[in-house]
Amino acid sequence: MKKALFIAITCVSCFNGFTQNDLINRLEKVIIRSDRKLRQHSVGYKVSTLKDSVLHKNTESFTLLLRYNSPIYFKEYGAGGTSTASFRGTSASNTAVIWNGVNVNSINNGQTGFNSLTVSLFDAIDVRSGGGSIEYGSGAIGGTIHLNDNLKFTSKRQTENLIVVSVGSFNTYNSLYKFRLSDSKKTVKIGLSYNQSENDYKFLDTDFKNTNGAYENLGVNISLAFFINRYSKLKFYSANYFAERFLSGELPNPLAANDKYKDFNHRNLLVYNLKKSRLQHELKLGYLAEEYQYFEDKAISTFNFGKSKRYLANYNLGYSFLDKKGELASYTEYESILGKTDQILEKRRTQFSQSIIYNQKIGHAISFETKIRKDFNSDYKVPFTYALGIKVKTSNCISIRANGSRNYRVPTYNDLYWPGQGNLDLIPETSLQGELGVIYNNNQFKIDLGAFYIAVKDKIVWIPNGDSARAGVWVPINLSRANNKGLELAFSYKEKVNKHIFSANLNYSYTIAENEVTNKQAIFVPEHLLNGNVTYNYRQLSFFYQHLFNGKVYTTESNSKDFVVPSFFVSNVGVDYKLFKNTKTQFNIGLKVNNVFNENYVVIPRRPMPNRNFNLNINYKF
Amino acid sequence: MKINKLLTVLFLISVFFMSCSNDDDASTPRGDYENGILISGEGSGSTASVSFVSQDLSIVENLIYKKVNNSELGTFLQSMAFDGSRAFIVVDNANSISVVNRYTFENLSTITTGLLTPRYMTIVGNKGYVTNWGSTADETDDFIAIVDLSTYAVERTIPVGNGPERIVENNGKLYVSHKGAFSTNNIISVVDLVDDKVETITVGFKPDEIFVNNQNELVVLCGGNEAWTMDETIASIVKINLSTNLETVSLPFATGEHPTLMVLDNDVLYYELNGKVYAINENATALSSTAIVESQGFLYGMEVKNDRIYLLDANFSDLSELNVYNLQTKEKIKMASVALGASKIYFN
Repeated sequence: MKKALFIAITCVSCFNGFTQNDLINRLEKVIIRSDRKLRQHSVGYKVSTLKDSVLHKNTESFTLLLRYNSPIYFKEYGAGGTSTASFRGTSASNTAVIWNGVNVNSINNGQTGFNSLTVSLFDAIDVRSGGGSIEYGSGAIGGTIHLNDNLKFTSKRQTENLIVVSVGSFNTYNSLYKFRLSDSKKTVKIGLSYNQSENDYKFLDTDFKNTNGAYENLGVNISLAFFINRYSKLKFYSANYFAERFLSGELPNPLAANDKYKDFNHRNLLVYNLKKSRLQHELKLGYLAEEYQYFEDKAISTFNFGKSKRYLANYNLGYSFLDKKGELASYTEYESILGKTDQILEKRRTQFSQSIIYNQKIGHAISFETKIRKDFNSDYKVPFTYALGIKVKTSNCISIRANGSRNYRVPTYNDLYWPGQGNLDLIPETSLQGELGVIYNNNQFKIDLGAFYIAVKDKIVWIPNGDSARAGVWVPINLSRANNKGLELAFSYKEKVNKHIFSANLNYSYTIAENEVTNKQAIFVPEHLLNGNVTYNYRQLSFFYQHLFNGKVYTTESNSKDFVVPSFFVSNVGVDYKLFKNTKTQFNIGLKVNNVFNENYVVIPRRPMPNRNFNLNINYKF
Repeated sequence: MKINKLLTVLFLISVFFMSCSNDDDASTPRGDYENGILISGEGSGSTASVSFVSQDLSIVENLIYKKVNNSELGTFLQSMAFDGSRAFIVVDNANSISVVNRYTFENLSTITTGLLTPRYMTIVGNKGYVTNWGSTADETDDFIAIVDLSTYAVERTIPVGNGPERIVENNGKLYVSHKGAFSTNNIISVVDLVDDKVETITVGFKPDEIFVNNQNELVVLCGGNEAWTMDETIASIVKINLSTNLETVSLPFATGEHPTLMVLDNDVLYYELNGKVYAINENATALSSTAIVESQGFLYGMEVKNDRIYLLDANFSDLSELNVYNLQTKEKIKMASVALGASKIYFN
């Protein structure tokens, strides 16, 4: 059955190939990005973009993609297992995932599972470091990760098909198909992805395998846009995801694991734009539904579940002046959320927010931005938030950027309503944070070095005896204060000599995340994290080398040396060969060797990560 | 004569030496972890572990299983059982029992088949009887596994009601308290070791600790359903006459009170309520209102021996705290950092 579906997708994609009829010339094109806020309101922030070529090279999982290409640390319970992010040393609910401008962190636990999302269908993923509650609401403290669909209008009618299929060790099959039809008035994009794996890699130096680790998922994305008239256009985005995965066990007895997890997500967004002279209106309507089912025992049909439905309406207004050097924008948002789990009866939460953003360029060298936001929430008081950003170009190559903001993370449904344990007196966690960075940019190099500081207070922590009236019961309370500080370095380099193209990029982060009382490093936050990619390209051939150094992490609050996850260094290598390429078509074949040195390492204690493994892929564009 | 005398002297000398070496044998430690206290920690994100504290409380050593065997126990270490030379470490989430030499902690075997969420074990002869919750998603598949302690294989199982917890043996019968796993239950199973026949005795909800006292009675701590279950019941300490299987004494707690720990030592019952420890004479007809000691943390384990009470304040994200008090003076005589998620104390 699994295989049949896999083949079906591959064949359907091939069949679609015949529908192409237009010649693709060098055409004029207009790209419509889904999230205006990210492009326009990130003055003073570091935003790095992972292009579709990077996404197609790392189709195995969202976790792997970001682990090798961003400064974020992932706490992954064995490859393909539950995976949460720690951005700048913050907790899992302090990294927000934004789909086409909408925050999609779970209502129930405030997090995004980075292995319960496939992202290869998106056109670009942006990683923005730093606070962003003004634009994206709850949880945008460490940073935000943006999944974007870019819609392309072309002056002539054009179709484009892309098929990426890979076969890897442990019976892993990844496939995706993307189709686009566009002209100067309308554009349609359809994407399908299907991934499956037995994921039963051997645990090095043991007799065990990663049993009960299989997964399969299907993604269907559709987006379209058309011009209603010269000034206005309508856009629609839809992303649907169905997944089933098993949760593998840990040493000493991985055979004990028998649980299973299912996920369903449907996200729909309708956007109307009107842009006339200095005024720009945008109206957004969204409907997002998500559901998970957790089966404690895969052999038994009973399960725990969580469900939520969100309705949202936004009205954004922008007014530009001073020869378009200044803009005043207003974002008004209303959101209604209905959430429930098998333990929590359906609760409705409504939120209204209003933000005002002012940005301006002064001459060619200076741009700055000020933002304020006020939220009104039916469940609790949300703090007033504000942010400032500035970027100054001090010379041809050097710019200085700075930003500061106040952000928050609201209590989740689980925090508030879990029977017997929830705490209705919780208030949101809030952070005050700032960053100062230097950018050096010439034709070959780009270096961004930033120093950040985040002070979080009222952190929500679950502890036994959290409530004196409920002795012995685990209860969430606003307990601790934490101070995170560190450095983030992003470096990229490109050199071309005749037909030899060499490029390299690197992310390094140094993070101190201290509990304010104990001055100890937070658990599962590595002090040092370094990843990099080096590519060498000659004519049709290209090689790449990818590596990750993940520093030691403590697993106890007292930073006991007896309970640590040691540092590890993992490398992947690959080779790509372009069989042919012309204006119409391109066909690549690639081989990737993951964990080439067969390093025996863990991210979470007792859960070994995959040994050396192989992945053969083809990438066909026509 | 001289020779006889010489022989006699030699005989005496040899006896002297022999007895000396005999004496030596007796006092040679059988391992690093003899004459002390073993504390088991459930673990959570970090591994389950066992800590050792010497009898005089001067030496504290954590992670002894990991140090000796260079491997981890997994999560969550529920309990331990002992026979003459071995300790059996029951780890419920790992469906395993690690068998070690109780004095050296060297691993002898790890039982990984035939167990499903194992909780507690008692040993009768060469058999281990292990309570198992079965699949946590199924309330009808709970059982007692019978482990052959020579082969370390589960030889057969006896089905019992939901959520079997503590298990003790008395007079050819097993007594099992059914706390109810992830829901609640209110029975004691009585298993006849001759024919595996199971009878049940109804008690208060959430029966946990059980002891057989000198009057052939089973003393049971019933914690009662908490308010959040939406079906709150009263907690009690009850006594059951084991000749008739009938309840003879019941000491009820007030509504809203849910004790979680109980120890029977020398005719005194010690029990925990809201982080405070109370003591009553075993024949008392009422509960006490005066605490003897009070925990400063999350009181999760308790044991009493030789005028000392040992309390564990558990921490699940860090090392836990062991506090030892003199029972006469109520003075704290020792504080030590021990296993993560510390929950049980055993005298080795």
